[in-house]
Amino acid sequence: MIKSFFNALNQPLGRVGVLIVFLALLSGAVWGIAQTQKTPQQPIDFPHNIHVGVLKIPCLYCHPGALRGPSPGLPTITKCWGCHQQLDITKTSPKLVPLVQAVQNNTPLQWVPVMWIPDFVHFVHRPHIAAGLNCETCHGDVSKMTVYQTPQVINMGWCLNCHRSKTEDNAQNNPTNDPAVAASLAEERIKLTDCSTCHY
Amino acid sequence: MANDLNSPVKMNMSQDAQGKWGMVIDQDLCTGCQACVAACSMENNVPFVGEVDAGYGRNMQWIRIERFWSGSFPDIKMTSYQPVMCQQCHKAPCEPVCPVYASVHSESEDLNLQVYNRCIGTRYCANNCPYQARTFNWRDYQDARQRPELVTLQNHLNPDVTVRRRGVMEKCTFCIQRIRHTEDTAESENREIRDGEVVPACAQACPASAITFGRIDDPTTQVSQAAVTSRAGHLLEDLGTIPHVTYLAGGA
Repeated sequence: MIKSFFNALNQPLGRVGVLIVFLALLSGAVWGIAQTQKTPQQPIDFPHNIHVGVLKIPCLYCHPGALRGPSPGLPTITKCWGCHQQLDITKTSPKLVPLVQAVQNNTPLQWVPVMWIPDFVHFVHRPHIAAGLNCETCHGDVSKMTVYQTPQVINMGWCLNCHRSKTEDNAQNNPTNDPAVAASLAEERIKLTDCSTCHY
Repeated sequence: MANDLNSPVKMNMSQDAQGKWGMVIDQDLCTGCQACVAACSMENNVPFVGEVDAGYGRNMQWIRIERFWSGSFPDIKMTSYQPVMCQQCHKAPCEPVCPVYASVHSESEDLNLQVYNRCIGTRYCANNCPYQARTFNWRDYQDARQRPELVTLQNHLNPDVTVRRRGVMEKCTFCIQRIRHTEDTAESENREIRDGEVVPACAQACPASAITFGRIDDPTTQVSQAAVTSRAGHLLEDLGTIPHVTYLAGGA
């Protein structure tokens, strides 16, 4: 029976069938990978471009945890309502209906995290901000986005590239050629490329 | 073990300045109460494997209390309790055998790391560990879908520590999440880490204060000073693994 099945595959029609099955599997795989790269649906299409670009609200007003610890946090309805209860647009705009409903029912808005890192990576925002990085260095220019999108693929190579280049002993980072600075840079480099810095 | 008071201390850790973090365990103070074992499991998301798997010898602990007896029957005397965890060897036998570099040495902290996302579960490291400090995840013990009895404990996991999956080796990390947190706090306050500021879960839980933790490259810390007393010794010192855990025993 198996032999006759393979014989049928050797016929012209059988080969076309194999090709069709292969193409179907391939397109399924491509679609699946594309799904993982899609920006998730948020409860409200939050316009970052208006809040950051036009109104110039600092990032840390809504994501204050970035200064203190690992997670910057996503704003609660109390934070949104603090400003929005005073605005006329809250009553008129259909886009803000979910917020008004959430406040009336006292239910949370379930924002979906976009900058997602796996469980075995431990990222802390505080030292990165203390090192003088701006939010947009990693998160892109949110003043031109509506719903947030990641500007690049977040993987370990991307993290390590930055950790290496920031501690490089070159003209850009170490212009004085001071051996003490070079030694501290080398120490910093060992520390920043150590597995235990992020994985534990 | 240097149970004999007259035996000289073979290795002086603070003078050799090998490593950064060290632990001192006073066996004369240890009462064997197992509080460190419970605290370690809670802090580091070490699962309780259940009756059946424990029967297969798949029990998971990062720290265990060893008991030994000396003398021959009927004059048997129990020696003092000995909490044993990963000794964070300077020359670790577990490291060179890993085929995927999941068991690596931290250059900056001089600790033995286990990188869970690299581990493919050959268990070679556990076979090569002279202290039997490593435990293996035979199942997805933390998965509530497979362990319905865990549903009541949905929020019991520590978010600072990775939840290990099936087929991954794990071991004591010297509570590196607490080291990192303290380092971060000290850095934000623009100061050095104080002696005794980093407290691992086992040391925190010990009611007899038998466990001390600190820097061994600084001779003024509690750990360095305890490690040079005549009561100090290391486990299986002859193997030359240069462990970072010092045991104190033989005092009155």
